[in-house]
Amino acid sequence: MVVETEIIPFFEWLQLAVPFFLTVAVAVAVFALAASYLICAVRYGPLAGGDVVYRVVTTSIKEILQISPRRVFALAWLAIQESVRRRVLVVFAVFLAILLFAGWFLDNSSHDAGKLYLSFVLTATTYLVLLLALFLSVFSIPNDVKSRTIYTIVTKPVRPGEIVLGRVIGFSLVGTVVLLVMGISSYIFVFRSVNHTHEVVLLDDPELVEELPEGERFRTTTEQEHRHVIFEDADGNLATDFRNSHWHPISAEDSPEGTTYSVSPPEGTFTARVPIYGKLSFLDRAGRPASKGVNTGSEWMYRSFIEGGSAAAAIWRFPGITRERFPPEEFPDGIPFEMTLRVFRTYKGDVERGIPGSYVIRNPDKPDIQSSEQIFVAREFYTDRKFIPFELEDEKGNKLDLFEDLVSDGKLELAVKCLDPAQYFGMAQADVYLKADDAPFAMNFVKGYLSIWTQMVLVTGFGVMFSTFLNGAVAMIATLAAIIMGFFTKFVTDVATETVSGGGPIEALIRLLTQKNLVSPLEDTLGNRVAQLLDEGVMFVMVRMGYILPNFRQFDSSDYVANGYNIPWDLALQNLVATFGYLAAVFVAGFFFMKTREVAK
Amino acid sequence: MRQEWKSLIRKVVYFVIIAALLVPLAMISRPATNKSPGGMLAQLRQQHQLAQANLGEIDPASETIRLASLGMTGIAANILWEKANHYKLVEDWTSFKTTLDQITRVQPNFAAVWRFQAWNLSYNVSAEFDDYKDRYYWVKQGIEYIQRGTLFNRDHPKLLWDVGWFICQKIGRADERKQFRRLFKNDEDFHGARARTEDFDNWLVGKEWFLRAQEAVARGSSLRGMSPLIFYADAPMSQINYSANLNEDGRFGEFAKAAWAQSAEEWLAYGNMNTPTSYGFDIRLNEREALEEQAQELRDKLEALAPGLRQRLIDQKRATLTAAQREALDLPVSERVGDQHIRASEAREITEVTHREVAGHIEGEDGIQALRIANQLEDIEESARVTQRYRDIVNFDYWRARCLMERTDDALLARELVHEGAEKRASGDPNGAKESYAEGLKYWKKVLDEFPSMLDDRTTGEDLSKVIEQYREILDQVEEPFPEDFPLQNVIDRYPPKPY
Repeated sequence: MVVETEIIPFFEWLQLAVPFFLTVAVAVAVFALAASYLICAVRYGPLAGGDVVYRVVTTSIKEILQISPRRVFALAWLAIQESVRRRVLVVFAVFLAILLFAGWFLDNSSHDAGKLYLSFVLTATTYLVLLLALFLSVFSIPNDVKSRTIYTIVTKPVRPGEIVLGRVIGFSLVGTVVLLVMGISSYIFVFRSVNHTHEVVLLDDPELVEELPEGERFRTTTEQEHRHVIFEDADGNLATDFRNSHWHPISAEDSPEGTTYSVSPPEGTFTARVPIYGKLSFLDRAGRPASKGVNTGSEWMYRSFIEGGSAAAAIWRFPGITRERFPPEEFPDGIPFEMTLRVFRTYKGDVERGIPGSYVIRNPDKPDIQSSEQIFVAREFYTDRKFIPFELEDEKGNKLDLFEDLVSDGKLELAVKCLDPAQYFGMAQADVYLKADDAPFAMNFVKGYLSIWTQMVLVTGFGVMFSTFLNGAVAMIATLAAIIMGFFTKFVTDVATETVSGGGPIEALIRLLTQKNLVSPLEDTLGNRVAQLLDEGVMFVMVRMGYILPNFRQFDSSDYVANGYNIPWDLALQNLVATFGYLAAVFVAGFFFMKTREVAK
Repeated sequence: MRQEWKSLIRKVVYFVIIAALLVPLAMISRPATNKSPGGMLAQLRQQHQLAQANLGEIDPASETIRLASLGMTGIAANILWEKANHYKLVEDWTSFKTTLDQITRVQPNFAAVWRFQAWNLSYNVSAEFDDYKDRYYWVKQGIEYIQRGTLFNRDHPKLLWDVGWFICQKIGRADERKQFRRLFKNDEDFHGARARTEDFDNWLVGKEWFLRAQEAVARGSSLRGMSPLIFYADAPMSQINYSANLNEDGRFGEFAKAAWAQSAEEWLAYGNMNTPTSYGFDIRLNEREALEEQAQELRDKLEALAPGLRQRLIDQKRATLTAAQREALDLPVSERVGDQHIRASEAREITEVTHREVAGHIEGEDGIQALRIANQLEDIEESARVTQRYRDIVNFDYWRARCLMERTDDALLARELVHEGAEKRASGDPNGAKESYAEGLKYWKKVLDEFPSMLDDRTTGEDLSKVIEQYREILDQVEEPFPEDFPLQNVIDRYPPKPY
């Protein structure tokens, strides 16, 4: 799986996000004002009602502006004390128990153990922390109201806004500490579980050596249910092959007793690649531009295929290629790129031989200027690591300078072809990317946890906001609904726009009970028509809610960490800013709800 | 009575009833201990092997998940199944395999899950990879998956049989069988410490699992709908396939002879087994010839009691046929057209004379004896027919003949010489190759004279035809004509070489 959502730069995003935020804020404020006025008009008459609304709004603005940080922190401290009193530390015990027994359930001999372990800790942490935030935030104020402790608080010179803000900050701080401890334990757990080493074995069985490719006489012992073959490069350096998503450097030390080898811990398991993605386009078998390649019958239409031995090609156009970004001192072998292609054989051919392909580097504006063909053999589901050297040759052997001759306006093209006639290569846009850098994994891990932190803060904010006007249980359901809605925003939109078959919730229920499939139309009865009409209403509201509620999936960056891709700071900052935007909104809402409650007046 | 008293008495009565009901409940559900067999429930559980521990190993991880899912394991398995389907669709194999492991932790005693998903891994996921080593890795993942299933479902014949099937058929019959078999033989990870000391041919390893499945049935496990005829054929067939592959591996002489002798022994032992049929009686595949002999003896006896009676009855019935029916019946099958097939079938039915009918026309004491013979005869003929039908299902006759043929010195030499010829040809020695082929084909002629039925099998015929074609090419190479009186001309006539 490849992470490939396009991330726009933070400031560009900000320019789009701020007006959108303001528009929604104004719309919600106007709606809230109108609704408040209507209620007050009914209760006090049209003129007095308007007066009440005006007074509440003006005093509220004044109160918000007069919020005292000292009082807020005092209330936050109370919230922290309350959390400790409510045995919040139990969550640590639960998490430690999970980590303790996780080894039973996780297979460290897996093809990609690093990904498996990272996904596990990130998911477990997310669920636990969100649950903790939910339970902490929704019961606090309702419990105070129920036990009448709130009277003690409101008799003190505190404002409703300070109560809301204090709770949000207090619980968020508790959540932050919990998350911090979980993050550190997870990091240690993952490293300790996946880390391993091997010993070097010299194969002495001539029959076995005969079976292996030439030169493979050394291999490692089996650890975590895998072993490696050892290679020696031209300089005499030893290293293992790439297996189970990692490899090991090996050092050899000569002594009078013989050579001793030591195998280092795995490399490549925990990475944070910084990819530069290009735009993918195709040429068909006659060499004409095409929007996509051929479908070879796969149910998943993610990849397109190009025919071998024809003019068909897949071309990636990469932006941002400059000398400054790829200085030769840092990239001595050239610009690294990684490639994962699919292979589709229409006939078996030679089973022991892979399907050969070729790639050329071309100038996007003058495609005739291109490097000579580089031949490779495709291996499915393996990342092939290659370099684009700074000095290349064309077909005739003329020298080409990468930046002078092939890069045009910071852009560069890489064209891939399949060479075997009637065999196919499959590719998607994210299958080939330039590797600008390897970011520090630890920092990426922190950013992954930051994304969990933003979700935790959001849940806390919503929980406290709902608890200002609902009782504990109902506030919990409301917050849970907001979370679920936030996780399934896309699905809700798909249902509303009929991209997903089966209709809205009521229609789906009817289909479920009457055992009807998703696609055949419902019978034209009055009941069904009413149900569909009601569904339209429900979906209208839900889609609008979807615009307002945070899309939790967007905040979740754990896939980046698990799949070994760097979380761009642009994305992390966007999520952070969006979180504070939401917090501001729920604070204002919570403030008004709190203010309208009699206890707080 | 005062209201409070009434209430108290009601409560006491309820309490007594509850306590009274608890006593038998405690009695019947008493757990088994070393000294006592326990209550009725514990005894029934033991008797019907219903306890979890009777099924196989108990995995703490699995039990924890089952406990944590609060009885909703079905729902959890369903969700995981959907997830697995999604991962397979998006080709995320790490997550796919992990999800499959989770499903079996939730439902470790559902054999269908192990079987279906092991198949998925070995047959479907492996095919997604282009490199044969990757394919082998995933085939092995499937095998190991179902092997783990046998730990949790001890003595489940189908699971044990599946392991054998995967090892034999997926490794030994795939397009990449040459590579798979090579990798399997040298797979220390799979065979463990035994790897260096034994011959790890996939057919032999698979056979071990088929035998384990047979042992499970012998211990009382049910075959659960599987045909015993097929189930018991796989172990000896694996031995035969092993022997047949020795040729490809270039192993001949005494080694191959011993392997084929073993194959023959196992196949004949299989033929001697009591095999239940769907006709309500058991058969032994080897007994068909003996049944035929018995039937012939009885037929002769019946005929001796009333010589010519059967023919008279047939003639009488034949006289009742219409002209069209008679004409159709007299025509050879290959010359019948259109309705003639139906007429002939009608005629056959009308003119059929059963043994009982013949016996019915014999009077006196002979008649009683004839009736006894007729009944016996019809039973034996039915047995012989069913036995032949079952033999056809597993191609029994061919494999028996093949085992007997292959272990002869002539057959072993024929194969060795042809193999030697092919090697000489590959090493650029056409004259040496010609001689080896000529000699080898001479032995083939002797073999086929001794076992003519072997040519009825298309595979054998085509393989031999291919060898003759290679011989012809070698002769072309050394510029010699193909002999006009070629002794195996009948093979070429029956199985003409296919154009490339």
